[in-house]
Amino acid sequence: MTARRLDEDGGITAMKKATSIAALVLACGLLAGPAQGQTLDARRLGMGGVVTSDVGDHTGSNIAFRAVPKGAGGSSSIPLPLGLIQYIADHPTFDSKDSTFNVYEIANVFLNPPLTIQLVKPHEVSGDISIFVGRDSLMVDLADVKRVIPKNSMKQGGVFHVGGFAKSFGKMFVQVSPLIHVRNELLLSDKLRDALRDAVPFTGNTRYGLTDEGRAQAAISLQFGYALRALHRPSQAETENPDPRRNGSTSLYVGAAPKYLLGIAYADAHSIAGATTGDTLFAGSNPVTIDMDTQTRHAVVGGDGGTGSGIGSDVGAVAYYQNFELGVGLNDFGSQIKWNTTVRRHLYDDATNKFTTTEVATNQRFVSRIPVTTTVNVAKRIGRTTIAADVVAGDLRTSMHAGAEFWFGMFAVRTGMYRDQNKMAQFAGGGGYRFGKVGVDLAIATNSRNIERERGAELSASLSLY
Amino acid sequence: MRRLIPIALLLPLLVGCGNRNLILTVDILSFMDPASRAMNYGPIPPSPSDTVEVFADSLNLLQGVGDVTRVASASLDVAASFDNASGAATGDFLIYFAAADSANPFTTTPVADIPFQLLAGQITNVNTHVDTSPVLAEVLTHDRAKVGLRIIFNGTSFPIQGRETLTLLRATVVLKKDL
Repeated sequence: MTARRLDEDGGITAMKKATSIAALVLACGLLAGPAQGQTLDARRLGMGGVVTSDVGDHTGSNIAFRAVPKGAGGSSSIPLPLGLIQYIADHPTFDSKDSTFNVYEIANVFLNPPLTIQLVKPHEVSGDISIFVGRDSLMVDLADVKRVIPKNSMKQGGVFHVGGFAKSFGKMFVQVSPLIHVRNELLLSDKLRDALRDAVPFTGNTRYGLTDEGRAQAAISLQFGYALRALHRPSQAETENPDPRRNGSTSLYVGAAPKYLLGIAYADAHSIAGATTGDTLFAGSNPVTIDMDTQTRHAVVGGDGGTGSGIGSDVGAVAYYQNFELGVGLNDFGSQIKWNTTVRRHLYDDATNKFTTTEVATNQRFVSRIPVTTTVNVAKRIGRTTIAADVVAGDLRTSMHAGAEFWFGMFAVRTGMYRDQNKMAQFAGGGGYRFGKVGVDLAIATNSRNIERERGAELSASLSLY
Repeated sequence: MRRLIPIALLLPLLVGCGNRNLILTVDILSFMDPASRAMNYGPIPPSPSDTVEVFADSLNLLQGVGDVTRVASASLDVAASFDNASGAATGDFLIYFAAADSANPFTTTPVADIPFQLLAGQITNVNTHVDTSPVLAEVLTHDRAKVGLRIIFNGTSFPIQGRETLTLLRATVVLKKDL
């Protein structure tokens, strides 16, 4: 065990330690609330974001969808990022010296990338912050900023399979792709939340604390997959229409794709911090006692611990019976990575006004897990009409989608709704027109992908390939 | 006076406030020793004018605030009560704020000058609002400052004697981010 002092030049100032906590609260507050990814496929968005074997990111949601013959419902989508035009014409300033600078607007750009046209934007966070201070009283009115402080914990993150390369060989495929898992959860104590969110006066002999659990890991996934039709009972219409979604046949498709995970970097931090007031809020030369305790664990290629290695899998199945579809997909099922980690503890001593970092362990074996994402979808096709619903359960949230698509000649009308990451009901609708192998789709949908967690509306456009 | 470090906890919130403000209201009176909030004056013998220095104290203010914010404006609300037992006078109730390194706050120009008139056996309440005081804005963003309270009596009936109580001393500072 070794210990060393940080900030040898007299330690951190009271100002620094106070602002550090506040900055942490603010930073996490800024990133809280987003969440669900933006859907750029206007066909899927118009149906409330639902996934079926021929709508949305079907092969990514359920690996068994790969084996299902291509149907009439389209095979892929090309997004049209019309929102960029709107963004270029009217975007928030990034100059903090500018009088119109507003970090909450900037945060919303990241939470809700300007790829779709924003029809209804959330109300801008604005207003003055008022603080009243007396010797034994402190009240903070954050006014509009209260809207960014959630009632419960602030969670963010997800599992992201970013880009990569894939090649199919019949029923088999090979895929190499980066995998990133990020998760952070910030929890304010009830007292601190009440003080900041509801402007409840601070009181003496009270601890205003927070805990933060953060984790990030990155790996390269090398995956070999196989998807096939496992069961089949043909229908009379199958000779005319090979699409099991609409020919009334009974089929079961299954798929599995084990993966090797080459760990690039891992880090986690578990932090507890707080400020405890004295008998009188502002009595004495040091009015609050500040405590901070953080334990970190990390490994990184080319550095402490080096690379990690692990395995995982994507598995799925989808069944068709009389044009009814039931699919279950598990992504990152059983995925885990073994690391040699370095563990450190960073402890703040209020008496000495210094941080002490202690190396708790080096090359400690640690197994991290990639949380599984489960997608269960159902759909029923009646003629050219599709009615569908799904439930997607991930690390931090469960979302539900339901939608329908009606075709009239070359025109499609779509409608749907979903329950988003903020547990709000959102609504969608849209339409499309098909030109042979290509279709143009438009959708209008509400969402709460903003720091204020308020309902906004967007217009999305994309091309469908049939 | 005690330092008000925890206020700094909220300053980073200003980052997101764009052109908005942090309005900081400090009940300075509550930080004062209760003994110095009230003072007996007199008996003041016959004389054209008499000056009483009620107190001069050093304040520990918002440590570090000046590093991340700039003061857009500052104002001060002051109120006092005179329970005048005998004598009569007109006068001025003066509040001084000065930088911490100044030797004596009374060498500066007062930020507030409240005229009053005292009559025997009467309680006289005075108050004023000092708006957009540059001096106040300057001193309140430093770690420390000095404050002084002085009363000038211009007697018309003697001996002047009574008790003065400071009932309100509240500063309101409007801060803007400077990050």
